[in-house]
Amino acid sequence: MIEARDVSVDIAGKRIVANVDFDARPGEIAAIVGPNGSGKTTFLKALSGELAYAGTVILNGGDLSAMKPVEVAVQRAVLPQATVLSFPFTVREVVKLGLVGGRSGALPGEDTRLPERALARVDLDGFAGRFYQELSGGEQQRVQLARVLCQVWAPVLDGRPRYLFLDEPVSSLDIKHQLIIMTIARDFARRGGGVVAILHDLNLTAMFADRIFVMHRGRLAATGSPRDVLSDDLIEKVFDCRLKVGVLPAGNMPFVLPQSAVG
Amino acid sequence: MVDQSIAGTVKVTGVSEGDRSARARAVILLLCLGLAIAVLLSLTAGASDASAVNVIRDWLLGTVSGDAARNARDELIVYDIRLPRVILGMLVGAALAVCGAVMQGLFRNPLADPGLIGVSAGSSLGAVAIIVLGGTILAPVTALLGTLALPLAAFFGGLATTLVLYQVATRRGQTSVATMLLAGIALAALAMALTGILIFMADDGQLRDLTFWSLGSLGGATWAKIASVGPIIVLALAAMPFLARGLNALALGEATAGHLGIPVQRLKYTAIVGVSAAVGASVAVSGGIGFVGIVVPHLLRLLIGPDNRYLLPASALLGASLLLLADAVARTIVAPAELPIGIVTAIAGAPFFLWILLRKRGVVDL
Repeated sequence: MIEARDVSVDIAGKRIVANVDFDARPGEIAAIVGPNGSGKTTFLKALSGELAYAGTVILNGGDLSAMKPVEVAVQRAVLPQATVLSFPFTVREVVKLGLVGGRSGALPGEDTRLPERALARVDLDGFAGRFYQELSGGEQQRVQLARVLCQVWAPVLDGRPRYLFLDEPVSSLDIKHQLIIMTIARDFARRGGGVVAILHDLNLTAMFADRIFVMHRGRLAATGSPRDVLSDDLIEKVFDCRLKVGVLPAGNMPFVLPQSAVG
Repeated sequence: MVDQSIAGTVKVTGVSEGDRSARARAVILLLCLGLAIAVLLSLTAGASDASAVNVIRDWLLGTVSGDAARNARDELIVYDIRLPRVILGMLVGAALAVCGAVMQGLFRNPLADPGLIGVSAGSSLGAVAIIVLGGTILAPVTALLGTLALPLAAFFGGLATTLVLYQVATRRGQTSVATMLLAGIALAALAMALTGILIFMADDGQLRDLTFWSLGSLGGATWAKIASVGPIIVLALAAMPFLARGLNALALGEATAGHLGIPVQRLKYTAIVGVSAAVGASVAVSGGIGFVGIVVPHLLRLLIGPDNRYLLPASALLGASLLLLADAVARTIVAPAELPIGIVTAIAGAPFFLWILLRKRGVVDL
């Protein structure tokens, strides 16, 4: 369980996140949505211990601000929006960096060739020998996800749930891989872990999130299940955009929803 | 507990593609061999025809070959002139190459090099201050520290430069390369200007020392010098392998390295202190020897990849070997005179470095 209470973050004297209360529970995908610049990423950085914050964050019963990096790394892994590498690492070498903390939690039979397994999960089977810098943005993002999965391969370790923090995990992916990645997240949660994901696609959010936290101008605007939160009023208030939820486009305009994926 | 993975649906191919560790280990073995050859070559080559082979054979077998006077001379040359020089060359070559690799990992950039970004200039300033002012203003310091005064002054000069550089070039965990290089140039210019003032104050004897020393040389290597800087370099180098995993993670950025559980601040400060100590000690005994720190890691990354667990020991071995070879060239090419080794490494290293940049322009992004 992650419990954030009254969390605020200032950057260069400006309040970016103000008094946010947030919970992430094992078994659930908690989605953070909101317009650009609403403080989502900054909040996630506070939650991952990267930025100093006011308020409290409790990670599995321990105070985050008092924990060592290695203790935190055992309990949660973080996927940033994009990662630029400075040296010519192969894909396998990048994924293997996820194991640097040494507590993947993989079963004895699985721990050999964990990088290959993780790559296969993100649909990059056979990419291990390629150079990271030669891949497309979407492929790089999936390599990073494979690295993150290696870090917390077992969703539960020592009886404690572990967490995936995903900052826009599907933003640079095609529809097939959006679904694959979100399914991995859901699977991680089903097996006892917790997921915190910043998402922009409201359809994917509605489809996969167990709870939605809506951020607006650094504050929490709404919390609840997709059914409760995704309303015409809220979207107009937060995104400043008049939309009708659940209304089909007029006439014969084609539309493609992830929810309509077959099989 | 439920199944930890969906291993059943995962196809895992047979070979470990993209795993260069076996190759790296093979290269390290070859480099060990190469270093042994370089050592032997250095012990044998020189202005005198003294034969290291004979001396080593006599020493191993307890035999005496040839006439006694000649043997005594050869022994003197090999033990007291060439051997200290070889050991010092190995220490300095290993230190410069490893420090280059560590700085490149720390700044996340293949262009970071103690010589290029002003660390060596800072060390030189410290060392020159002791050489020129050691008899006058800084006499209490030299009296207190003895032979350690020079390496320690070089260490603090390098440390100060590196700390300032890091503060200037790094903002919120991101190191700007342009800022780093420009700040390095500015700091080097400042250090060299201050060094210039000191040189202006130097007397004729000091001047001769300074000129030769500033171009870099392993000449004048003695057991005493090795005793004063050897432990510093060995200690600093011994600490570096513990940084390897952290430096690997740092390639993903400081934030991500932290997420992986690396204590990033401690890693950075250990690296900076270690590099300053090793570069300072090297500069103190051998002056400014350039390009080893940038060419060696670069070359090895092409061969075995950027994994610091292999890159650091391989750099130490190749750096030591190359410096010994450069020194052998410096000692023999204009014999009986001697070329400053810094000239040899620059003449060989600078075009090589340009060639790498041209060839790898797409991959090595600035």
